[in-house]
Parts: sequence; C-alpha cells; structure tokens
Amino acid sequence: MKRKLSPSIGFILLLFLNTGVSGQSPPGKPKIVRCHSPEKEMLACWWKPGSDGGLLTSYTLLYSKEGEGQTYECPDYTSAGPSSCYFNKKHINSWTTYIITVKAINEMGSSISEPHYVEAASIGKPEKKKSNKVVMLNFISFSPGQPPGKPELIKCRSPEKETFSCWWKPVSDGGLPTNYTLFYNNEGEESFYECPDYTTAGPNSCYFDKKHTSLWTIYNITIKATNEMGSNISEPHYVDVTYIVQPNPPVNLSLALNKHTDGKLYLLMNWSSPPLADVRSGWLTLEYELRLKPEEGEEWETIFVGQRTKYKVFSLIPGEKYIAQVRCKSDHGEWSKWSSESYIHLPKEFRLKDMMVWVFVAVLSSVICLIMIWMMGLKGINMVACILPPVPGPKIKGLDAHLLEAGKNEELLSALGCQGFPPTSDCEDLLVEFLEIDDSEDQQLMPNHEKGHPNKNLKSGNKETDSDSGRGSCDSPSLLLEKCKESRIPPAEFQTPDFSETQVKAAGKSSQETQNRDPELKLPDFNSDGVKSSTWPGTQLASSQIPKGSYHNIVEVCKVAFSAMNVNVSAIRMGNEEKHPSKYSKNIETICEGEMTQRRKGESFHSKAKADQALQWLLPNEKSPFLSDKPMDYVEIHKVNQNGALAVLPKQKENSDKTEIYPIPGTTKEYAKVTRVVDNNVLVLMPESRVQGMPVFQEPPKESAQSLHQSQAEKNMSYCLTAPSEFRLQTGGLEYMDPNSFMCSFK
Amino acid sequence: LICSCQRRACQVSLGDLFDRAVKLSHYIHSLSSEMFNEFDERYAQGRGFITKAINSCHTSSLTTPEDKEQAQQIHHEDLLNLVMGVLNSWNDPLLHLVSEVQTIKEAPDTILWKAVEIEEQNKRLLEGMEKIVGRLHPGGLGNELYSRWSGLPSLQLPDEDSRLFAFYNLLHCLRRDSHKIDNYLKLLKCRLIHDSNC
Repeated sequence: MKRKLSPSIGFILLLFLNTGVSGQSPPGKPKIVRCHSPEKEMLACWWKPGSDGGLLTSYTLLYSKEGEGQTYECPDYTSAGPSSCYFNKKHINSWTTYIITVKAINEMGSSISEPHYVEAASIGKPEKKKSNKVVMLNFISFSPGQPPGKPELIKCRSPEKETFSCWWKPVSDGGLPTNYTLFYNNEGEESFYECPDYTTAGPNSCYFDKKHTSLWTIYNITIKATNEMGSNISEPHYVDVTYIVQPNPPVNLSLALNKHTDGKLYLLMNWSSPPLADVRSGWLTLEYELRLKPEEGEEWETIFVGQRTKYKVFSLIPGEKYIAQVRCKSDHGEWSKWSSESYIHLPKEFRLKDMMVWVFVAVLSSVICLIMIWMMGLKGINMVACILPPVPGPKIKGLDAHLLEAGKNEELLSALGCQGFPPTSDCEDLLVEFLEIDDSEDQQLMPNHEKGHPNKNLKSGNKETDSDSGRGSCDSPSLLLEKCKESRIPPAEFQTPDFSETQVKAAGKSSQETQNRDPELKLPDFNSDGVKSSTWPGTQLASSQIPKGSYHNIVEVCKVAFSAMNVNVSAIRMGNEEKHPSKYSKNIETICEGEMTQRRKGESFHSKAKADQALQWLLPNEKSPFLSDKPMDYVEIHKVNQNGALAVLPKQKENSDKTEIYPIPGTTKEYAKVTRVVDNNVLVLMPESRVQGMPVFQEPPKESAQSLHQSQAEKNMSYCLTAPSEFRLQTGGLEYMDPNSFMCSFK
Repeated sequence: LICSCQRRACQVSLGDLFDRAVKLSHYIHSLSSEMFNEFDERYAQGRGFITKAINSCHTSSLTTPEDKEQAQQIHHEDLLNLVMGVLNSWNDPLLHLVSEVQTIKEAPDTILWKAVEIEEQNKRLLEGMEKIVGRLHPGGLGNELYSRWSGLPSLQLPDEDSRLFAFYNLLHCLRRDSHKIDNYLKLLKCRLIHDSNC
C-alpha cells in the first residue's frame, strides 16, 4: 500500500507545486447550461466552461443514446455559437433519451461535466412504419436555467380574525431552486414589507401573526419567485382580513342519551367552539350547524343550530348507530370544515305499545284458530277426510247387516259356517298361511298379474311354512294359538287405529293385487302401529291384497262404522235390528271386507277354519276400544248352507264347533261384501265389484257353494256382476249370494 | 321585546336594547355585503377599481380600533362614541345613495331595494343606539364624532367609468363600516351585558 500511495501522494504534491508555482491546473468541470431545440429537427446545447486552470482548454461534447454503449462526438461546434454544439436531424432521429457530456481537456488533465439528459419527444405524427423515412421529432427538453414561471396566490385565510395566512402555488422552475418572497403593502402605507413568517403555515405559505394583522385594511400582496436565471412576480392580490375568516371546526363533540321529563329518550349533543376563536369577548361570533345520519344511511340530516353549543335531538330510531358532525362559521365568514365524527349507539326500545300489539295479534290469531277448529269439528270428519285422503277400509261383502244387528253371534257364525269360536287349530292354520308383507319388498306387493293363478295357488300352498318367515308370527301351532288369542284381545284396538293405517299402507302396496297371493309377499312392517305381522298376519296380509279402490272405501267406511258403532256393534252382536240397515251393512261390509281381504291372502282359506277365522275378524270384536258399550265382535263363517247363506259364529265362542273348513282347492281368496244380515242371522254377501284380477277367476269355479269360500263365491259373483248394487236389485229382498247361480252366469 | 314595567315607565331592558341593536347592525352589514358583491360582479369586473379604492373612505378620519387588542383596550364609552360617529356619518351618504343608484344604467332591482333598506335600517339603528347611550350615559357622551361626506359630486359624474368607481368606492366603504359597527356592538354587548362571557 505504501508503495501505491507514495506515487499518488507524490503526484498530488507535484500538482500542488505546479499550481502553486505556475498556477496551472487541470480544467474545472464544465457544466451544460441548456439544450434547446430552436427549430424542428434540430438541437443545440450550450455549456459553461469551468475554470481552465490557466491553460488552454479544449472542450469536447460527447453524446450517446440511452441504452446504447456507443458514444458520438458533437458534429458541429460552431453553428450555435461558442461553447455550443449543434445537432441536426442526421444525428438525432429517434425517440430516445440522449446523454450529453462535455469534456474539458488541457495540458494538465481533463474533467467531464455531469451528464445531461435530453429527452427527445415526438410531436409530429409518425409516418408509415414501413417507410424508411425517419420520423422527425421536435426536441423538447426540460432545460434547466430558465427563469421561473409566474407564481400565483391560492388563498388567504384567518381562523379567528386575529391572524391570517396566505398560500401560493409553486411554479415550474425547470430544476433550479426557486426562492419565493412575499411582499405586502398595507393600505395607506407606502412601503412594502416582506412576509414575517414563511414556515408556520407550511410550505409555500406566509403567516401573519397578530402584530402584523390589521382588520378593515386592504393588504396588497405579491409573491416573487426567483432562481438563477431570473425572477417572476405574481399579480397583486388584495386581501381584507375582515372577509377571509374561516374558523377551525368545533371540538369535543359529545353525544349522550337522556330522558326527557315525559319519558321520551333524546340525544343531547354538546360541543365546544374551536380553541383559537375568542367567542367569550364577543370578538368572534360563531354559528353552528350539525349533521346526523344513521351509520348505514346515505343522507345526512343537517340542522342549523345558531349560536348555542348544545342541541337536543328527538326523532331518532332506537337500536341504530348514529354518526354526528358539527361545523361553525363566523357571523359573516365562511363555514369551517366538518369536525371529526362522533358515534352513538342507541339502545333498542322496549315499548309497551309494541308488546300490546303483539299480544293482541297473538290472541286474535289463536281465537281464529279455535274458531276454525270448532268449525272443523262441527263438520267433523269431512274436513279431516278432505285433508287426509281417506283410506278405504276393507270391504267385506257378504255379511248381512241385519244378521249382525241381530247380535246373535252363534247364529251368525253358524250361518257362516264357523266351527267354533275361538278357533284353535284353525287359527293356527289360518295364521300360518297368511302372507307376510315386508315393507322392503314393496314391489312384490304389486299384483303380479302375469303370474298364473295356478302358480300362485301352488305357491300359496307352499306358503304355509313360509308365510311367517322371519316374522315369527305363527311358526308353531302353540304360538299361533297364543297369537290368535292375543289377536283376539286387542283386535279392535289394532283394527281401528291400525286398520286404517295398515290399510293405508297396504293400499299403496296392494293396488291391484286383489287376489294376488304372491307367495313372496311379506307382511308389511307395521311396527309403527304396534301391530306385528306375527300377531296380525291376517290383517296385514289381507290388507295388502285389497284393491286400492275398494280399500279406500273400506277404510273409510270402517272408520265411520267403528266410530259410530258403539251401539251398532252391540246391536250386531245382539242381533238387534239396526235402524239403518244400509249404512250398517255397509259398515259391516267394510269391516268384513277388510277382514275378508285380509283373509284372501294366503291360502288359509283353503280350510274352513281359515275362513272362519277370516270371518272372525269381520265382525267387530267386543273388545274394540271404539265401542264404549260393547266391543266389536268377530264372527266366523261357520258354514254355508245350500242357499248360499253363510253361517256365522261369533268368534268368542270358544267351542269346538269349528266351522267346517271347506277346502278350497288352491283358489285365491275372494272377498265378499256383506250387504246385510238377514233376520235369521244370515249374512248376505256381496261380491266385490272392484275385485279384479282375472287370474283369480281362472280358478275353477268348481268350488262348491258349500265351500263357500267367501272369496271364491264373491269372486264369482263379482265376476258375474258389475256392481253390488245391481246384484242387490236383482236379488231384491234378501240378498243372498248363490254362488252357483253366479257361477253359472260366469260360465 | 319584553317590557318590564318598573316604576312608571315601561322600559325595555338594556340587554334587549343591545340585542336589537346587534340584530340591526348584523342585518345592515349583510345587506351591504350583498349589494357590494352584486355591484362588483356587474359593473366592476376588469376595471381595477379595487386598486384605486385605497384609503378612500370618508370615515377613515375616525380612528377606530383595528384589531381585537385595540378594541378591548378602548373604553366602552369611547367605543360607543365611535359607533355613533360612524353611524351618523353615514346618514347623508345613504340618502344620496338611494337616489343616485337609480340613475345607474339598468341597475338591478335588488341593488335598488337594498339601498333603500339599508338607509332605513340605519336610521333605526341610530335611534336604538341613542337609547342605549341615554341609558348608559344619561348625560350624553360628549364628543360628537362625525365625518362629513362629500362624495356626492362623484356620484353624479358624467363619465360613466368615474361614476361607477364612485359607487364602487361608496359601497366598499359601506361594507367595511357596517362590519366595524357590527363587530363593535357585539363586543360591547358581551362586555356590558354578559360580562365578557358570551
């Protein structure tokens, strides 16, 4: 290091010596004064030489394009005068920034000026790009060294009528530092004074304190901008402090909620005058203005307050959040800016009035509801029926209402050919052969008409052991027995409430499956009803097979029957005459049909016992909960006499007299509607008009009339006849169903 | 104004008198200010009148306080005196203003009726001030300050430009003096009635 230093130090010393001795030194740094475009497509630059160091100094101007490395020398040192460089279009011809430097060289050394940037801006429209012509430009450059522009006074303001400030707009100075001076002349005085304070009010401002402020006089103010190249003076501005008063905004805006004497809530707004304003002596008189709006609101509500510093606002919305601002103005001056925002959150008001309104509304609506319910109650079931489509109950055609009315169960049962009541082994068989309908296998519940009847029959035959698979209903005889007994007990209970339900449920499933005894049908899951398929297989099976149309009717009628059956049932049981046989028969029909349809399922009807059992459910059970007096009772079809009358035995009769079971050769169950009960407790069965299913009738009608499988007979009859009514007409009086006759017609 | 009957005569309170006076002075200045602005907009644009209207008010001979400190230092009697003097000095000019302003070419009605209104209100204010002075200084104030106005000929100059400048000047001075009066009276009111605690 020392080695390096020493030569440089020596050199420096030499230089000093030289300078000291001869006064010669390398040239000083030149300075580019300005670049100017006197005409289009031309540029001229001038520089100012630095010290020449006592030697002859030559100057070289070098320029280069921004971004390019190549440096060019000035093409013309003379055209623009001494210390100048002249460029013509040949040399500068593009939209770029040029960097220009001047180098001063003398015997002692050289120095280079600061680079000067010239931006070539285009003014003319560009010619076609394809053309090789150069697009000539007007060179406009910000050249330093121009005198400043003309300053301009923006405004003067006095916040309290004791001092004032003036602000001016800075001018373009071309890069040179510009000095501003403000001169003012007081009205009546000759001399001009300079601004006493350039800083207090900020940049480009002048602040006149109290000493320098006089009211009711005109100030003549001018601003002078000066820079190296020159100066410029603004136009005179005449200011009378009296008329330029604009106070600062008020302060300490406080919002508080108070309660008025009459209980109303109001907002009390309080504020103070701006600190500088002397209101107390009366020198400054301020007037205030408020504005309020809810936070979410768009428009302000403006309130002129006058000279007070507080205000009460009454008309506010409870629960809202409000924003408030205040401003003031001197009595003859300008408005100040709005103060900073103040917030207040109003609490939600609990008004007794509102509560009363709600209470009134609630009471009124409840009264209306009650009235409606009462009216509905009057009209009663009709309304309910409208809302909830009535599910047809099972229609059991074939039970004579009169017979039922008689109430002599034994006779009924005997008429129907029931063996005894209650059935024991029969029950077992019946139960066993009932099909179980499984909810999950809805599809299977749909009647499969394509299936041949014989198939079904065969299957039904096999069903004995399958019907209750999984359901555990009547798997074992003992179990069956128990269940039969059980079922006896709450049959009505199950029946009516669940009847409709089961029927409703089954209806959907059993649309056209009249005699469809699809062996694969399973009992629907009526767990919700509490009726387990095991205990009520017959019902479920039957219901699932009931045709939809009839089903609904049955349900409806059944419901009606049961509900109105208090006396009727007992009457039936007792064999009393019913006053309205038609209706009663219909009721009975419904029940019976339901039961019959239940019975139809499965092959339990093969045996009389099954038929008996079916009939058991036909009549109301005495234990029906619907009957306050006497529960409904079921009858078994004991036997069918030659006339086709069914001998019905009351179910409760636990005698060994079981109705003969007439074997029904693999036929599907047929449901018959009990039209009425004859005096001799003979049930007159009516064919179910809606009974459908050709396959059903495919079965050989050879079933003896005695077998009188209800379903069979009914089937035949129904097949023959189109409507029960017709049948009735035909038969007139007693409406016995003579299967043979029907069968004949069928044949 | 509330008349409180004391002794025999029904008297308005001093506070009420001052309130009334301040209201009048405020009103007069508002009118003057508006009138000046209207005239300036309509007739004085680009004529550079303002440059000439320097030290040209006839009441400038009355030395009035020029800032708050001066105004607070002056004794209220002197201040009252000054107010009276200024008010009196304007009686005459206002009268002529009303008559002469009508001769201005196409003078708008607003300027005309304002001149009339100012003249009338000024008289009322004078009456009120005299009452106040009588209340405060029953013996009278002493020096009757007054500035004579001699600007009538200038209002009647044939040269339109000169005439207009004369009006401009008069209105400019009226605006200023009415502001002075208003300011002084408000000061006096706060000082005398509210004990400098407005």
